[in-house]
Amino acid sequence: MSEPATTTTGRLDPEELERRVQARFPDLAANIAYGELTVFVPPERLLDVLAFCRDDDALLFDLLSDVSGVHWPGGEHVVEPQLSTTGWPPNRLTRDRGTVEVAYHLASLVNDHRLRLVVAVDDDPDGPPTVPSATGLFPTADFHEREVYDFFGVHFEGHPNLVRILMPDEWIGHPGRKDYPLGGVDTEYHGAFIPPPDERVWSRDVPGAGGGKVGP
Amino acid sequence: MSVDERADGAAYATPDEADDIWVQGADWEEIEDAVSEGRLTVNLGPQHPSTHGVLRLVLELEGETVHRVQPVIGYLHTGIEKNTEYRTWIQGTTFVTRMDYLSPLFNETAYSLAVEKLLGIEAPERAQAVRVILMEFNRIASHLVWLATTGMELGAISVMIYGFRERESILDLFEAQSGLRMNHGYIRPGGLGADVTDDFEEMCRAILGFLPEHIAEYEDMLEQNPIFMERTRGVGVLDVEACKRYGVTGPLLRSAGMARDTRTSDPYCGYEQYDFEVPTRTEADSYARFLVRMGEIRQSMRIIDQALDRLPGGPVMVADKKIAWPAQLGIGGDGIGNDPTYIRHIMGESMEALIHHFKLVTEGFAVPPGQVYVPVESARGELGYHVVSNGTTKPYRVHVRDPSFVNLQSVEHMSRGHLVADLIAIIASLDPVIGGADR
Repeated sequence: MSEPATTTTGRLDPEELERRVQARFPDLAANIAYGELTVFVPPERLLDVLAFCRDDDALLFDLLSDVSGVHWPGGEHVVEPQLSTTGWPPNRLTRDRGTVEVAYHLASLVNDHRLRLVVAVDDDPDGPPTVPSATGLFPTADFHEREVYDFFGVHFEGHPNLVRILMPDEWIGHPGRKDYPLGGVDTEYHGAFIPPPDERVWSRDVPGAGGGKVGP
Repeated sequence: MSVDERADGAAYATPDEADDIWVQGADWEEIEDAVSEGRLTVNLGPQHPSTHGVLRLVLELEGETVHRVQPVIGYLHTGIEKNTEYRTWIQGTTFVTRMDYLSPLFNETAYSLAVEKLLGIEAPERAQAVRVILMEFNRIASHLVWLATTGMELGAISVMIYGFRERESILDLFEAQSGLRMNHGYIRPGGLGADVTDDFEEMCRAILGFLPEHIAEYEDMLEQNPIFMERTRGVGVLDVEACKRYGVTGPLLRSAGMARDTRTSDPYCGYEQYDFEVPTRTEADSYARFLVRMGEIRQSMRIIDQALDRLPGGPVMVADKKIAWPAQLGIGGDGIGNDPTYIRHIMGESMEALIHHFKLVTEGFAVPPGQVYVPVESARGELGYHVVSNGTTKPYRVHVRDPSFVNLQSVEHMSRGHLVADLIAIIASLDPVIGGADR
């Protein structure tokens, strides 16, 4: 990590932050909502923007607080069937192309301001979404990127050890994605097979058996 | 192990690829080979009394010296983030409070603040003040558990008993207010689940009455204790620059000399009104973290004292009936429960009120689309909630930046070159809660 600059300019408003970032990267889209600045960065320029945010004298974002993934699937997609009794319309999303957004939350410990960088990558069925790894600039990105990889299947190029972190190592699929169901999933782990709870056979349904589960 | 190899559906590292990280079963002959090379890979945990729950550490040792440490987490993963996407915004509180089980109220507050930010509302003043009081008590309770477990892991069993005893009095307070010792579900988007009890202030004052004296005793037991000092001083040093690199916040960052606290840098719940200090040390070792946490307990008591002095009256839930949870409690014929007047209103007087109640409870309220990131200062550091809404009655995505998860990355840096026994002191000084790290 380079030497931190000693001069600080104090806390900047989201508007000032936006001007500062866009002075260096004029073509990046940005918006301010809920008092938070979001800058949209194409994946190939992520490392440049991160390095600028970290090293710029006025920005000094020295802490990568969080890396978070959000999946926006393509096509028409019902997020969750609503209760039919209430008459509310189902929550449908229609998008031409699916994307996975990776949000980097930067904070400045010196200047107390915050910024969000959002990298949107195509959710391409032919290959995994790929984003360069920020571990070279912020070693703390290590666990965060493993988590986003684990749950969204985003491949962080250059990550030293991109393996699952919270799910079991042998797990198949990326459970944070919207096309991965919450329940009703067969679990196959270390040779054992467990059907979803509503498809299991319980011994109370088997005459003469005790009271526990008798098998899949 | 290249990225492309994992792209082919088998989206994980095979044991062969990750052989240098994961401990595999091996024959004695292989182990002898490893020993003859001077290094031995040892598995510590996940079921080990000194690893704070189910933290697993894969150690590479040279003799008794730690050469590499690889924290392995995920044993307590319960898919809480995913679950919130299938529940209403209000139900989210019930889930997030179960993440970091030693600081449930911080999780509830951070989540509620994020939802409130998206809704553009602010909880009433009384609710904010009660949140502050309960959060500071939660910080004390969490630090007491830290003191207790750290003491136990370093051989001071009496501290363990005392720490848990004091915590019990705080949990009694939580139970009186929320009905539960842990997993309260009490702080909700819009305010609180219910107003505090009439004897709330009395209960708080009672704890504040005996706690300072007891804290001083526990501090006396350890502060100049030669064994404790020997075990913690100069152990697990993590300076400010290393903290920034590894994203470490909270007491660890403050023990390195940086007075960084989200309560002062990004005030929430009216923290700007209270007069308190951010305790710091400069030694950046495990002993300094002990002193910082003890200082924080004292500052928390200061904040609680001020908040009780000026606890405002008024409602504890926003007035907007389209958001406020319809939980009116009252005394009925069969004891405390739903307010009989309210039940009569919705069941006998107004069809519209019944429909409104039903829709709010089953369907919930819609939250405008957008995304926010709300940090609060939990007992372990910056607890951040990245909440994304797509304008519906359920969260689109809730991501939690849990300080335990992030801070665990620094274990290797802190413990390289130390002995295995020091590693235990280092893990203890980190105060990881695996329920929070694994979510």
